[in-house]
Amino acid sequence: MSAALYVRRRRRNAFVIGLAVAATTLGILWLALILFALLRNGIAALGPDLFLRMTPPPGSKGGLLNAIAGSLVLTLVGTAAGAPAGILAGTFLAEYGRGSRLAAVLRFLNDILLSAPSIIIGLFIYAVMVLPMGHFSAWAGAAALAIITIPVVLRTTEDMLGLVPAALREAAAALGAPRWKVIVIVAYRAALQGMVTGVMLAVARIAGETAPLLFTVLNNQFWSTDMNAPMANLPVVIFQFALSPYADWQRLAWGGALLITATILLLNIAAHLIAARSSSSR
Amino acid sequence: MNAETSLAAARAALPPRVARPGARRVLEEKIVIRDLSFYYRDFAALKRIGLALYDKQVTAFIGPSGCGKSTLLRTMNRIYDLYPGQRATGEILLDGENILDPRQDLNLLRAKVGMVFQKPTPFPMSIFDNIAFGIRLYERLGTGELADRVEEALRRAALWDEVKDKLRQSGLSLSGGQQQRLCIARAIAVKPEVLLLDEPASALDPISTQRIEELIAELKSDYCIAIVTHNMQQAARSSDFTAFMYLGELVEFDETEAIFTKPREKRTEDYITGRFG
Repeated sequence: MSAALYVRRRRRNAFVIGLAVAATTLGILWLALILFALLRNGIAALGPDLFLRMTPPPGSKGGLLNAIAGSLVLTLVGTAAGAPAGILAGTFLAEYGRGSRLAAVLRFLNDILLSAPSIIIGLFIYAVMVLPMGHFSAWAGAAALAIITIPVVLRTTEDMLGLVPAALREAAAALGAPRWKVIVIVAYRAALQGMVTGVMLAVARIAGETAPLLFTVLNNQFWSTDMNAPMANLPVVIFQFALSPYADWQRLAWGGALLITATILLLNIAAHLIAARSSSSR
Repeated sequence: MNAETSLAAARAALPPRVARPGARRVLEEKIVIRDLSFYYRDFAALKRIGLALYDKQVTAFIGPSGCGKSTLLRTMNRIYDLYPGQRATGEILLDGENILDPRQDLNLLRAKVGMVFQKPTPFPMSIFDNIAFGIRLYERLGTGELADRVEEALRRAALWDEVKDKLRQSGLSLSGGQQQRLCIARAIAVKPEVLLLDEPASALDPISTQRIEELIAELKSDYCIAIVTHNMQQAARSSDFTAFMYLGELVEFDETEAIFTKPREKRTEDYITGRFG
């Protein structure tokens, strides 16, 4: 081997590694800047008031209690409605429709739904729920979030069930287990951690959605637990308060943004930890 | 057409034969296979197989990779039915009933014909639940009775002493050999009549293999056992009858001693002596 060739290759290698590191740094830099901006601006709003008081009128003190509670309710109801549908549909694709043409078409449609802009889903719910009902409501907001949940959960459920070895299903079937028991008792259990991860990622996704809520649940200045009426929620409050000219509203918007980001970050980290644990236990 | 192919054609036209070497002894036929062919889509993996499996005897299936021995095993509990594009023709009589009949209830069939696979397949649940899963499918038992049945199965599979203090631990926490004995325990816990073993020791170390072979000898007194193996010594050691298969055909089927000492077919002899494989 010629020494010159070797030196040239080493140099080229170092150069390409340098490019890769630079690109990675550039990518991570924006996340770091966003977190930094959120921390710097949002930290001032942090305090017991943020969690204990309602959204205030301009110029008076307040917090985000009603918005936090509203977001929790919307996310919970949206997940409760969307996740089971996604899990069942994903089960169909992975267990019953494997290799069939119908499944291929459904998978393709689901991928479209997965990448559909959320504002379109908000508009759709506005047209089919808000207009006929004549008013904005938490039900409509939860419905929009449920529709966003379905394709995410469907996709991860199908992928995770796809990873369950066929030998495990055969072993269960060979004991005389009917198909539904093979799926519910054996396949689900083998795929459980991955499926939970998928649901958590979906929760993280809908917790920060704003566009579909603007058309459906709108917002509420006050405490409300009526699902049939507009309800306060963090994303829309942030949207409204951040665009307002009032300094204390803007501060609350930063606080809410920090809160939402921290929550989503924690959910993602938790999901990754669960996924990592499941892959190491195999 | 040369003489050899015309002879083959003449043979193919004959009524299918069922090999019954056990007829010389007083044995009860548990499974009778008649004119069985099997297809993966258009590929014929088994060609007009005919043989009888006897109760309380071990029948070994040997042959080079791809000869159809695993496929043959997988027809006897119709596990192939899980996959579209796989089909069998002919007859497999279990106690006189044709299990290839489309009306056959597959779950009941599989409760009667248990199977253990090449790779250990413990379910992702506790050791106890791994065994209890199968029992619960067809029996309603009280807690105490269920625990007794689980213990009995684990004892028969020679695993009880190693796991009795950790029944609540995951089945995945066991070693490979223990996992395979867990799978055997799971299969016998449902009290099947036939036990199909598809290379049950090929993924195991020699000591675990020996334990599995001892186990087979032990279980023989209660079941009709069919075992597929790549290991000729294993077939010779642990079986009463041996079937040699090649390219989807049953070449020779006889008492194990006869197959290994005075095979009638040249191909059997070549395979056993290691001249091809």
